[in-house]
Amino acid sequence: MTVLLPPCLSCGTCRGAVASAARVALTLAASIALATTTTAAAEPTLAEEEAFRAAAARVAPAVVRIEPAGGVGTATGAEATAGASTGLVVDPDGLVLATSFAVPEDSTGAVVVLPDGKRLAATPLGRDVARGVVLLRTAALPAATTLEPVARRDLEPGQWAIAVGRGWTAAEPGVAVGVVSAVERAWGLAVQTDASVSPMNYGGPLVDIAGRVIGILVPLPADTAGMKLGTELYDAGIGFAVPLDEVLAELPRLKRGETLRPGVLGIGYRSRDRINGEPVVGSVRQGSPAARAGVRAGDRIVAVDGRPVARIADARHRFVPKHAGDEVELALEAAGEDAGAMPVRRTVRATLVETLPPWQRAVLGVITAASDDDAEAARVAWVLPGGPAAAAGVVAGDRIVSVAAVGADSVASPSPAILGGLLAGWEPGTRVRLGLDRDGATSTVEIDLAAMPAEVPDEGPPAETGGAAPAGPADGAQVVKLEGAEIAEPAVAVLPPPTRGPLPVLIHLGPPHGPVAEAEAVVWKAAVASSGVAVILPGSSDARQWSRDDVPAVVRALQSLDARRRIDPARVAVAGSAAGGSFAWLLAERLGAACRGVAVSDAPLPRQVTVESAEPGAARWILLGGREPLRARIEHDRGRLEKSGYPVGTLPDDAAGPPAALLCRWVSLLGLL
Amino acid sequence: MIARRRLHLAACLAVAAATGAAEPPAPQQVAAAAARKVVKIHGAGGVRGLEAYQSGILVSPDGRVVTAMSTVLDSDEIDCVLDDGRRFRATLVGVDPRRELAVLALDAADLPCFTLGDDGHAAVGTRVLALSNLFGVAVGDERVSVQRGVIAAVVPLEARRGAAEAPYTGDVYVLDCTTNNPGSPGGALVDTRGRLVGMLGKELRATTSGIWLNYALPAGEIARGVEAVLTGATEPVVGRPVPFDPRLLGIVLVPDLLDRTPPFVESVVADSPADRAGVRADDLVIAVGPRSVTTRAALELAVGAVAPGDPVRLAIVRAGAVVECDVGPRPRDAAKP
Repeated sequence: MTVLLPPCLSCGTCRGAVASAARVALTLAASIALATTTTAAAEPTLAEEEAFRAAAARVAPAVVRIEPAGGVGTATGAEATAGASTGLVVDPDGLVLATSFAVPEDSTGAVVVLPDGKRLAATPLGRDVARGVVLLRTAALPAATTLEPVARRDLEPGQWAIAVGRGWTAAEPGVAVGVVSAVERAWGLAVQTDASVSPMNYGGPLVDIAGRVIGILVPLPADTAGMKLGTELYDAGIGFAVPLDEVLAELPRLKRGETLRPGVLGIGYRSRDRINGEPVVGSVRQGSPAARAGVRAGDRIVAVDGRPVARIADARHRFVPKHAGDEVELALEAAGEDAGAMPVRRTVRATLVETLPPWQRAVLGVITAASDDDAEAARVAWVLPGGPAAAAGVVAGDRIVSVAAVGADSVASPSPAILGGLLAGWEPGTRVRLGLDRDGATSTVEIDLAAMPAEVPDEGPPAETGGAAPAGPADGAQVVKLEGAEIAEPAVAVLPPPTRGPLPVLIHLGPPHGPVAEAEAVVWKAAVASSGVAVILPGSSDARQWSRDDVPAVVRALQSLDARRRIDPARVAVAGSAAGGSFAWLLAERLGAACRGVAVSDAPLPRQVTVESAEPGAARWILLGGREPLRARIEHDRGRLEKSGYPVGTLPDDAAGPPAALLCRWVSLLGLL
Repeated sequence: MIARRRLHLAACLAVAAATGAAEPPAPQQVAAAAARKVVKIHGAGGVRGLEAYQSGILVSPDGRVVTAMSTVLDSDEIDCVLDDGRRFRATLVGVDPRRELAVLALDAADLPCFTLGDDGHAAVGTRVLALSNLFGVAVGDERVSVQRGVIAAVVPLEARRGAAEAPYTGDVYVLDCTTNNPGSPGGALVDTRGRLVGMLGKELRATTSGIWLNYALPAGEIARGVEAVLTGATEPVVGRPVPFDPRLLGIVLVPDLLDRTPPFVESVVADSPADRAGVRADDLVIAVGPRSVTTRAALELAVGAVAPGDPVRLAIVRAGAVVECDVGPRPRDAAKP
């Protein structure tokens, strides 16, 4: 029988592919030999059963039961933990690894139960949030066994994996038997197994057939929608273990009481394909580690920490296992000055952070003219009175021939899109140098960028900045029905006279009263004509209320308008008051990044609407207004939104009807650069 | 009858001889032999999402079947389908409500069957095969499904179905094998030698963690249950412990404001048993004897579970260390004052 045992069990030290291959070959040979007689076919079964027991027995002295101590949570309603699980003694001096299941972040302690039933109080020292591992400090423990970790590179899918835990009972370790399902999961954080992993053995070791420790069993949310805790998978044949050697490597930090959180670099990729896309930086977040390290949009990441990167997925595999505070070394290539020149390679180091400060939109204070040529250098069409550009002497008609942050390489002839991308990476207060061409005469000005204004200025760009057509009288605006193939009750829209440029759009949600009559649109005509902003007035399907079911009709109205007159994606906003305001919040959530402004009065943020931090590409300008008794709640919303980085201005009282001129001016200014 | 038994014995011996005394048969042989001793049971159900089928184990050559007590048996028409495809109308001999086990009788003879014996040969790590009509996938005369696994733990059952606590609280085999399925209850759990190790349990969740349980009633309990049914000596369901007010021991806990109020000691009555045992205000009770407690309600139940007259031993966290206090014998009166 000894012959049939995997060789590793006998020597206990052999490693690697050679050993694994030998093991497979031996087992195979044995199986073939044994298959010739039916009686002997059961022998591997017995040998394996013996091996499972021996493997579990080897680590069992280091496995303890972890019970929650009462006192978890407070009167505000935090829940206690759900019950017993497992821990792994990593130092008999009183250091035990457990999981976030046993010791959640708000927990002050747990109880370690030894195999003889003795209970010891344990307090959390440090934790690794991404891996779900917590280090506990308790009294000195009986000398535990020495754990022998298996390096991840020595693992192969299909090899035996035995999960050991004492969640069922402290007295005897429970076992679950499976195989290694995958060596790298959750972007390299964990090894996957089909052994039954549940709260009962979270914190326990996953061992190989020789009793060497593959990793610590953890609840890990898979990279899948709707999974938050990781405990959802306990019955699914999917279990995760974080490699022991990788956890031991961070033991000194955990001992010091550090909470290790996932690290953030602050870059976006140019490609939308987050797996196979080229690892070319599309944006660098202002104030981020990447920005401080000098990473620039357009850089190609060719290696991370010395390991080559060919796809975005390669880079994520390197970044995800890192913590805030960890340093990362990036090898970057930037395109040379001339096309066809050899790319310039450089290496930068960045220290990852836990969270980025909310993104703040920085502006020059100009509106650029619409152009048929996307590559054409931006031309100033309007200058915000009192804004930074106005202070520097920029006037309408100037062409921007170069732009640079002071001290950095300049970008020649930036198009409005490139100018916007550059501004997204700069913080308010950054000094930039603009090269201007005014009727053939060039000059350079230095401008300190300002934060996006929160309040709507008294003056906005006139309608003709959108294109060639001059501003018309109020009756130049046209009231139409946005009819379409699948639209039963078409929304009414007020459209400005045609211009060359794309159309800014305001979706205004009045009180719910069923379909909107064309006569209701009249109050918008003057504002539409002078601002060049189109206004859509959707109706509610139910005469008494707005509902989620109305969202698709509004989206279709927007599409219908886009089919007639191209919409400016950077200038789409929703507005409403009271019931229409609540629906405006829901609609904004559904539109996501396509909605660049929300103006509501007398409608607090609905509970189901989440407030994400402001990010470039999803910039929003918000206007809030509210009368008693909602004023306090709306002021609370204002605080939340401002804290998340949004400019929040004031929406005046709309008792005398919607403030049409102000709302249209606001929409026309959403594209402020 | 005697002749039949001899025949059966002879058959068993023959198998043993073929495989050799020390060597177990191959898993496929074990599975095939065991499957012949498992029946598919069809009965009442089909309403409110309840299944109308489960599994049963043949335990005598003349057609005695043991299965899980369930709503499937709430019918005058309980049918058992044997491995050879024969269908028998079963009569309900009786039930053991404590073990939630039922005994059926078929009018048959010379059936292959398990021998009910001791269960001393199974332990944590024992490899097992589970045979049952899980999900009713074995249709018509198809053979029951075979699953493999190991015994993961041997622990007292603390489980519930919906809000109802399971009446059986003795040891069960927790299985590393997904047997928590409709149709599995009453199926057979066998070891690598084909010996009956247990009967697959019902669909239950663990009381504390709420996770679904895969478990089996040990063979020894099956034997005792069948014996109790046949002799009419079934025991009543043991009542759940009644909460015991710890004030009777001199312990005043913090007010029970939440579902999960932790069992902190607010004050200790002077010269009470708790006071003499050294329990102090602000102590956090974490266990009563071997039972861990995390809430006030759990503490009251755990003290209620201590038999009157037995010592109440508390494990307490005080200033970051665990202190043990023996509060003395539990008073008889468990009622709340």
